[in-house]
Amino acid sequence: MKRYDAILIGGGHNGLVCAAYLARAGKRVVVLERREQVGGAALSEEVFPGFRFSVFSYVVSLLRPEIIRELELPRHGLHILPLESTLTPLPGGGKAGNYVAQWSDHDQNRRELARHSLRDAEAYDEFGVVLHQMARIIKPILRMAPPDPASLRPRELRDLLRLGRFFKNIGDKQFNALWKLLTMSSADYLDEWFETEALKATKAASGIIGTMLGPRSPGTAYVLLHHYMGELDGVFRAWGFAKGGNGSVSAAIAAAARSFGAEIRTLSPVSSVLLNNGRARGVVLEGGEEILADVVISGADPRRTFMGLVGEKNLPEPFLQSIRRFKFRGASAKVNLALGELPNFTCLPGRGAHLRGAISISPSVAYLERAYDEAKYGEFSRRPYMDIVIPSMLDPAMAPPGKHVMSIFVQYAPYNQNGGWTDERREALGDAVIDTLAEYAPNLRSAILHRQVITPADIENTVGLAEGNIFQGELSLQQMFFLRPTPAWARYRTPIEGLWQCGAATHPGGGVMGASGRNAAYELLGERL
Amino acid sequence: MNARAIVIGAGVDALVAAHLLARAGRQVLVLDEGMRARDDEGWVLPQIPHELGLQVKVERQEPWVTVPLPQGGALELWHDMRRTVEALRRLSKRDAASWPEFCARMAILARLFEHLYGAPPANPLSVGLALRVRRLGRQAMEDLMRLLPMSVAELLDDWFECDALKGALAAMGIVHLQQGPRSGGTAFRLLHHHVGSPQGVFRPARSNLGTALRARPGVEMRNAKVERIAVREGRVTGVVLAGGEELAAALVVSGADPRRSLLELVDPAWLDPELVRALVNVRCRGVVARVSFKIAGAARMVIAPSLDYLERAYDESKYGRVSTQPYVEVLPTENAIEAHFQYAPYERADGAWDAGRRSELGELTRRMLAPHVPGIADAQAQVLAPTDLEAQAGWPGGQAYHAELTLDQALWMRPLPELARYRTPINGLWLCGPGTHPGGGVAGASGFNCAKAVLRRA
Repeated sequence: MKRYDAILIGGGHNGLVCAAYLARAGKRVVVLERREQVGGAALSEEVFPGFRFSVFSYVVSLLRPEIIRELELPRHGLHILPLESTLTPLPGGGKAGNYVAQWSDHDQNRRELARHSLRDAEAYDEFGVVLHQMARIIKPILRMAPPDPASLRPRELRDLLRLGRFFKNIGDKQFNALWKLLTMSSADYLDEWFETEALKATKAASGIIGTMLGPRSPGTAYVLLHHYMGELDGVFRAWGFAKGGNGSVSAAIAAAARSFGAEIRTLSPVSSVLLNNGRARGVVLEGGEEILADVVISGADPRRTFMGLVGEKNLPEPFLQSIRRFKFRGASAKVNLALGELPNFTCLPGRGAHLRGAISISPSVAYLERAYDEAKYGEFSRRPYMDIVIPSMLDPAMAPPGKHVMSIFVQYAPYNQNGGWTDERREALGDAVIDTLAEYAPNLRSAILHRQVITPADIENTVGLAEGNIFQGELSLQQMFFLRPTPAWARYRTPIEGLWQCGAATHPGGGVMGASGRNAAYELLGERL
Repeated sequence: MNARAIVIGAGVDALVAAHLLARAGRQVLVLDEGMRARDDEGWVLPQIPHELGLQVKVERQEPWVTVPLPQGGALELWHDMRRTVEALRRLSKRDAASWPEFCARMAILARLFEHLYGAPPANPLSVGLALRVRRLGRQAMEDLMRLLPMSVAELLDDWFECDALKGALAAMGIVHLQQGPRSGGTAFRLLHHHVGSPQGVFRPARSNLGTALRARPGVEMRNAKVERIAVREGRVTGVVLAGGEELAAALVVSGADPRRSLLELVDPAWLDPELVRALVNVRCRGVVARVSFKIAGAARMVIAPSLDYLERAYDESKYGRVSTQPYVEVLPTENAIEAHFQYAPYERADGAWDAGRRSELGELTRRMLAPHVPGIADAQAQVLAPTDLEAQAGWPGGQAYHAELTLDQALWMRPLPELARYRTPINGLWLCGPGTHPGGGVAGASGFNCAKAVLRRA
């Protein structure tokens, strides 16, 4: 029987990244994927004949540039098409010009913002500089394996000291600015800078994505930074859309992993982790096949990994408790549309450059907050926040000639919808999305050829993400860094010797970043392989 | 140069600062602007009575809280752990079993904050603080890291199932705050209000500290309204009163809120424009109205029946509306009761606070309390809207803590990192109000820390 150095459970992007790095270091690695194709939530599928969709995650914003470089992803087929703009249509009459846009061209952007507020046009540049600075400061943290602050082991102490020095070195001023970002609400933070409601709301929206928090809830400002991390890396424009959909991100990573010698087996669902004297020795597939390895690395979420694959009886109670209170709370849904023609926005009619960028339905902070209010009590938002892209505008191969695909990220759709997610409620959510959007683009309804609505429950069922949380667990401050997924086990290890984790539920998590997978691989290579 | 020190305001913090300065040999003049809220609430730092030789009476009510239950009767929580557990057992066996451990774990964290509150804010990256936190042990460290950014709702959901208990505790996470129990950072505030109380008690004690300080000789008191603080060449030279009279002083300690102290009383031209901008951004949104009824003999009581109830009350205030189902806390005084009404936004979406809107709020409070307070139907009500509290108590924007106590405006960030050590960029001008560390809900500690800083500097 073949013996591996490492088994990766789950072929999501983090699992693939981890496998690629291990294989690159000469390890014998196998990736076991339950479904017929790898990618997890980074997946392209021909949902309707001729129409290809990035079914779940839909943009590439945060994929770490070092991963793109080190795994030579462009050589393996990754091609990123930049998204150049964000359009926020405003409600009320649908008059032409009734919108706020952000353009990547500096002068164009300034002119546009000055149309709404001279002060904001001024502040925009300074805001960008401050957030860029902050993003640069935080970047080394993304590459760090979080130390255990309560441990007395020399290695942890050394890393803690290093971390302390790191924060000392960035200086009081920057440290305090960072603290503000971590602890403030995005609405309050943006109030300090801007006055145009739609601009504030569109920026604030990035702070609530994937999270059951409203823009006025403290802890949402930090995610504003993520936008500036993506835009940071001059070498390669990392804020954009993958040619062929997000499945090609996974495909490129998988190709890289294979080129280093990793084996990837699809349709190989793992049923449990094989334990021997409390140590992980391999896995058992659902068919009964046993595969042995020195280490087992799970890319699945902690609930699935520990409650499902390891089993509660094999884990200490305090640890189980901390996994039980890890918050998933999926908050987002996805609507994928096949369109016979392009949407025509009354505020900016015709086929313009704006359709090649993102379109954000976020007219005001109060609008987003209202959407959240409904979800707090278990109802999906009747007038939701939406982040829309039309991938076929950038990559015509996504749809038949002259036709288009539209990807709509929708929030809030709570996993714990009152009465549960039924087919009826799924369609009602789809209707709410279309009704809201049709107010801005009246031709939308007649343009729709097919519609796919994906609720958090659907995400859980198809991809396996617990409660449909797109980040494998909420990215809130109490679940970050050395608390992710749980204190003392943030360093990609687990209480089971030989069992490791590499999914987005570990630091830094979330957003097709790949950093969790890379960090876990480095941590493993440094320690035992 | 004049050696006289002037203290602006006669709140608890200002008085503590004044008496400590006087005790150190300064000639102190307190300018009582007549703006005073009830100042008998909050933990008294033990160093204050000790150093000033004051007899401070701390009043601890039994039960420390009464929560009316929807099915009738009330949940009563006591200083005596066993009695509380007994009371909880009637509602939930699980909660009764969790209560002692919850209290013990919270108390360990509260002890840490007791230490931090009796000194100027510690540098978050100091070795001393790191070691102190590490000495707490693994469990407490994990609790601390998790709890600080958390919402009080998540914290309580982790521990308990009984709505009445969760509501009563969550109230301390949101009191005087424009946030709901599901907002991040509110668990920290529950802890903040637990500091100084015995294990298992989550309401600040009441004391006669204010009265005792006012009765204490040693400082000169004068009723006067300050018009501005005089500055020459970056140094304080005195204050100018509303009538135009100028009082010279080389040291001015302001108990007024940071924004008024530095942007209204001082000519902002003396300040760095960046600091001015940061001061303008200090959040101080008032959300509380006070309603008093002339009626004796009511119990201390909280109307906050569940987390969702509080959250819904907050929802309305986000859009500038008064909660139709507010969080109400009843504080009995000698022959009246005072009701804390939250949320009543300072800025209403439908216009200014006028007599009609005040009385509407008073009647709503009366209706809310009627089932629990016999005789309230005929009692005379007096309503203080947030705007009144601003005018009468000097609460900027109606905010009792002068600067909202949130993580980004707490500890070394309070009210701003540049001002957190009580000194201002103007030589000889210091801040001592609740807008500084440790801030509102703790009686006199800001004044104590400020006076100590002034004296160390001298």
